[in-house]
Amino acid sequence: MTLPPFLRAAAGPLKLMVQDRLAVIGMCVLGFIIAMALFAPLLSTHDPRQINEIEDGSVLLRGPDGWALSDSLGPLALNDADTAAGEALIVGREGTVWARDGDGWTRRSVPTDADLNAVAIGPQGGALIVGAGGTILLRDGDGWTAIPAPAPAELRGVAWIDAATALAVGAGEEIWRIDTAAGTVEEVTSPVGRGFSLNSVARDVDGTLLAVGVRGLAIRYDPDTGTSLERLGSSRDLNHIHIAPGGAALVTGERGTLLRRDGTDWTTDPAPDTRALRAGWIDDDGRAVAVGRNGIVMEWDGAAWVLVDTESERHLRALLIDGDRWMALGSDRFVVRLAPPSAEHWFGTDHLGRDLYSQNVHGSQIALLVGFLGATLVVLIGTNVGLIAGYYRGRTETVLMRTVDVMYGIPFEPFALILVLLFQPSLLIVILAVSLLTWRTVARLIRSQVLSLRERPFVKAARVAGASDLRIMYLHIFPNVMPLVFLELAIIVGVSIIAEATLSFLGLGPPQSISWGGILHDARLSGAWRTAWWWNLPPGILIMTTVLSVFFISRSLEVVANPRLRARG
Amino acid sequence: MTRRTYLIKRVLQAIFSLWIIATLLFFLFRMGLPDPTAALITEGLNPEQRAAVRAQFGLEEPLWRQYTLFLTNAVQGEFGTSFSYRAPVADIVWDRLANTMILMLVAIVIAYGIGVPLGAWLSWRRGSRTDTAGIFVGLMFRSAPMFWTGMIAILIFGVGLSILPTSGMRTLPYDATGFWPKVLTLDFLWHAVLPVMIVALYYLGSPLLIMRNTMLEVYGEDFIEMARAKGLPERDILYRHAARNALLPVVTQLAVTIGLAAGGQVVVEVVFSWPGLGREILNAVRTSDFPLAQASFLVMAAFVISLNLLVDILYTTLDPRVSFR
Repeated sequence: MTLPPFLRAAAGPLKLMVQDRLAVIGMCVLGFIIAMALFAPLLSTHDPRQINEIEDGSVLLRGPDGWALSDSLGPLALNDADTAAGEALIVGREGTVWARDGDGWTRRSVPTDADLNAVAIGPQGGALIVGAGGTILLRDGDGWTAIPAPAPAELRGVAWIDAATALAVGAGEEIWRIDTAAGTVEEVTSPVGRGFSLNSVARDVDGTLLAVGVRGLAIRYDPDTGTSLERLGSSRDLNHIHIAPGGAALVTGERGTLLRRDGTDWTTDPAPDTRALRAGWIDDDGRAVAVGRNGIVMEWDGAAWVLVDTESERHLRALLIDGDRWMALGSDRFVVRLAPPSAEHWFGTDHLGRDLYSQNVHGSQIALLVGFLGATLVVLIGTNVGLIAGYYRGRTETVLMRTVDVMYGIPFEPFALILVLLFQPSLLIVILAVSLLTWRTVARLIRSQVLSLRERPFVKAARVAGASDLRIMYLHIFPNVMPLVFLELAIIVGVSIIAEATLSFLGLGPPQSISWGGILHDARLSGAWRTAWWWNLPPGILIMTTVLSVFFISRSLEVVANPRLRARG
Repeated sequence: MTRRTYLIKRVLQAIFSLWIIATLLFFLFRMGLPDPTAALITEGLNPEQRAAVRAQFGLEEPLWRQYTLFLTNAVQGEFGTSFSYRAPVADIVWDRLANTMILMLVAIVIAYGIGVPLGAWLSWRRGSRTDTAGIFVGLMFRSAPMFWTGMIAILIFGVGLSILPTSGMRTLPYDATGFWPKVLTLDFLWHAVLPVMIVALYYLGSPLLIMRNTMLEVYGEDFIEMARAKGLPERDILYRHAARNALLPVVTQLAVTIGLAAGGQVVVEVVFSWPGLGREILNAVRTSDFPLAQASFLVMAAFVISLNLLVDILYTTLDPRVSFR
């Protein structure tokens, strides 16, 4: 098969390029990046703009340097814990029950997969778990049996009255008295009866029970006389109550609510943070701790509550205090901020919990779009100006080349900044800023080539044959400057990609778009870049590899454009 | 054409270019910001003060009067008062320009001082692994955006090893009046290490590659064969005969680079908090401080043009073969 002559002519330079090892590497890498841009939605593992949240059975242990994250107990959030007589139980979502086993924890199986909200260990080794859908579980030897509920209520708290009876409270103001021996549930009338949610219940020192709920609601239950209302001095939503054996008590609630009982009077303590507190613990020696959302841990230092350093933003829901071992448990769905690379997030996450791998993959689109569009525009303008100036000479040349001279007096980055100041940042302005000045080099190069080409015999012959100026310029001269044009195109693609990254890094890129420079802008702005190396490294490496691959290709194009280099290489 | 008429023509050209850029700048600003004092309202300027600012820039006059006022002010070096600094723009701009120039010039000198001999040496070892590695490293620093290499350098030397300062020109607070007392100290040198290194590494690539490629062309010339035939050592051929003749394209590139140096590297100044003109333009853009943005840009362009002119004139002296066409 014989190839048409122009294809054969093109094959020569191509062969030269294939022989250059660096050029081949460059073409492979660029091909890879282009594929990345084209298939970005398929390749990315997450939506790059989505804030990622996960659930985790998080455990924070109090050490000498504050509360530190410990090994997780499974992937499901932990809601409550209780300890007595050397044993400890933790309950969580979807039927999660953990029991302490020596120094570790073992998962216990229960006959339900409802969310479990509260656990209580009784005076004689009995244990009760309550949860969603009216779930009531009673420990029976090594296993658990369900006690049938009169209604599918969402039960929030449970506490033992004596060795055989217990009280559970629920989200619909349910107050249920559970007889564990008979396995029956008796509904107790509430003094309010408006369906207010009761969130927690605890046994007081005098044998009565105190339940707390929304809008500062507190209900005392006396096994002999029934329920009565009680005032604690707050109208905020109360989440948890804990009463120590000696009578000290702590109630925690929304917006940093801390109600402390010292003897008989309740006082409202000022909190150092106003986020929701989900659990508290107090003893009769004046030690107390409260935990809440976003990794908030407060400790009572004898005179005031102080915020303690934690290394985590997880939502804490329960406390498990057993001697000197203090544990805080959580965590329902929390934002995965600044997470280092993991199997879930290959390049980690940023300060808003967005997946960085997906952002980097999507960033290639803007880089290549601006790179190639800008370079095409530049080469289009530059080549035509160079052709016209070099071919017509005279006044046309003077005007065009003076324009180019003027452009050499304009510094690039500041000009782009001014352009963005005056006209709102957009993709068009970024491409314009990149291309408006860069064509000056191309125009000068092409013109000097055309100047020598127009004196060559084949041009004169064409002119004698009666060819028009346009025909000579574009059909006779242009093919001869083609290699140079392609060389410039390749170089300017690299320049444009860096220019776009620079503008985006300065926060002047197209808004609402994801780009490599923009990722680095976010990193610098958030201040976390000094520790989060996974945030800084990939975009820079990607910019560098892309531009480098383009430069490698341009180097072998240079050999094509300049045969003098070919002999020695 | 004599040398004298060439010089006159070149100077007139430079003035013409500057005038065009100033005109362009003026109309760009009038187009993009019809009322530049609008940004001042938010800062609680009362109507009288605002009127005074408007009068200073002649904003009540017809457009052509504004334009001539702008030109006369610019020629007299009178750029008005900065909105954000509440100080004469001219003072700010000259101070920042000096800061930019010292950073850029030192970096360029280092880049060319290393790049040229290294390029010559690489050409001598052409085709070897060293050659490939040299090209690779040179192109790599040319391809990596400077704001990124700067951030990485800060991470390594500033945060990780904490041996080098990462921002500003001096440790704060410092007491120095004028430019030279500020600069001629060890503390300044210490602060300059990282930014100069980053800019120099970026610029290293072009002298390295240009030198290498031109040397390869020079090796084919007859006088090199002649030198070999005379039995001169390779070292002498390389550095005394070939390198001298290969210098011209590098000098051309150096001229262009120095010419654009006043434009600075905005990102390097931003990353290292270097109080240069580029960073000032960015701040002016962010705070809509239009007198400062306008003046910074004009001064930058004036400097770029005069440097280009200076370099052109030096060039004709260095290489008489360049005709005065």
